[in-house]
Amino acid sequence: MNEELDSQLSAMFDDELASAECELLARRLSRDAELKARWGRYAVIAATIRAERGVRLNARVARRVSVLVGSEPTLAAHSLPRRSARRWWRPVAGAAVAAGVAAISILWLRAQAPPGGAETAAPLAAVIPSRVASPSETARPASAPAGADRYVVPPPARAAMSVVPATELANYVVAHSMFSPPVARGNLLSSFMTSESGGTVAVSAESAQDPPRDAQSNPR
Amino acid sequence: MTADATDLSLVRRVQRGDKGAFDALVLKYQHKLVKLVMRYVRNPAEAEDIAQEAFIKAYRALPQFRGDSAFYTWLYRIAINTAKNAVVSRDRSPIEYNIDRNADESYDMQGRMKDSETPEALVLTDEIRSVVNAAIEALPEDLRTAIVLRELEGLSYEEIAAAMDCPVGTVRSRIFRAREAIDRRLREVFEGGLGRAEELG
Repeated sequence: MNEELDSQLSAMFDDELASAECELLARRLSRDAELKARWGRYAVIAATIRAERGVRLNARVARRVSVLVGSEPTLAAHSLPRRSARRWWRPVAGAAVAAGVAAISILWLRAQAPPGGAETAAPLAAVIPSRVASPSETARPASAPAGADRYVVPPPARAAMSVVPATELANYVVAHSMFSPPVARGNLLSSFMTSESGGTVAVSAESAQDPPRDAQSNPR
Repeated sequence: MTADATDLSLVRRVQRGDKGAFDALVLKYQHKLVKLVMRYVRNPAEAEDIAQEAFIKAYRALPQFRGDSAFYTWLYRIAINTAKNAVVSRDRSPIEYNIDRNADESYDMQGRMKDSETPEALVLTDEIRSVVNAAIEALPEDLRTAIVLRELEGLSYEEIAAAMDCPVGTVRSRIFRAREAIDRRLREVFEGGLGRAEELG
């Protein structure tokens, strides 16, 4: 037996052989019975030095496994490329699923949330209770429709410029608000206040602070 | 040089359909695996059966092994699961109630009988141990230190080189020469002595 080869085998057994050499020697080891027997004795030496108690050093596991593996189907040579191709698709598929879930979540949230969005819903919500709780307005005429005092045009969100709904449309909604339930009414108003469609007009901060005429003339 | 390069090169060969490479993996790890399984079962014969089953399971699952962990770590998990399942299924097996008051003793005898089904194997094991230990004792100091640091302490060549204050190449040579000296004595036992060399291969 070639001494250099045996030396390499010893280093390979210790996992101290360069990968390229390892590949070559692994090929030879799998075919050379003498080399394999030496490899097995190296394992016996290692087990003996480690004093592995209870282990029979002539364990027939290797021989029995070899026989059983011989009757097993050979692992498919093409299994590796196919598996790596499948692996390539895994993150892509995962990302697609995540994006789909995110899109559905966003759509669902948008459908659930008021059309005005969070940015304008908060100021509106802040205005309504303060308006309702205003002591000067607690005395309301009996003829006034219930909930009419809730219709408040919120103060402008921005100092310089603000977006308000078209006056006619706002007036219409306010005038007919007594026929709609309070929640829907609130949502509709929020929508108008924050709408950026063609039906809205940009006004200066001063004029935006003035409530619509109908809202001001609402009987109290 | 990469960690686990040896096992990985053998594993890749098996995955490409080279069954002979799997023999090398089994030869390398059979003792370690039997020792591991013996934490769960005390009977060496049963431990060997479980280790054998674990190796077969590993072979079948090898196409799924990607090399993310070391091969032995992967094999270790399979062996542990196989051993646990074996213990559970053994515990669930029907109990024979017609055992008399000497049941424990008879059961113990049965266990011993199973162990002693290969008495020659036990003799051989003892002989192997004494031969290997004698061979190690007979080694020159530097060779003995190198092989013991490697096998008993599990040090890498680089660590051994640092400990022995010598180049890595010298460590590799010393370990190889130590193995060769021990192996020469071992072959005498297998080939001339009990003639059971094939049981290792």
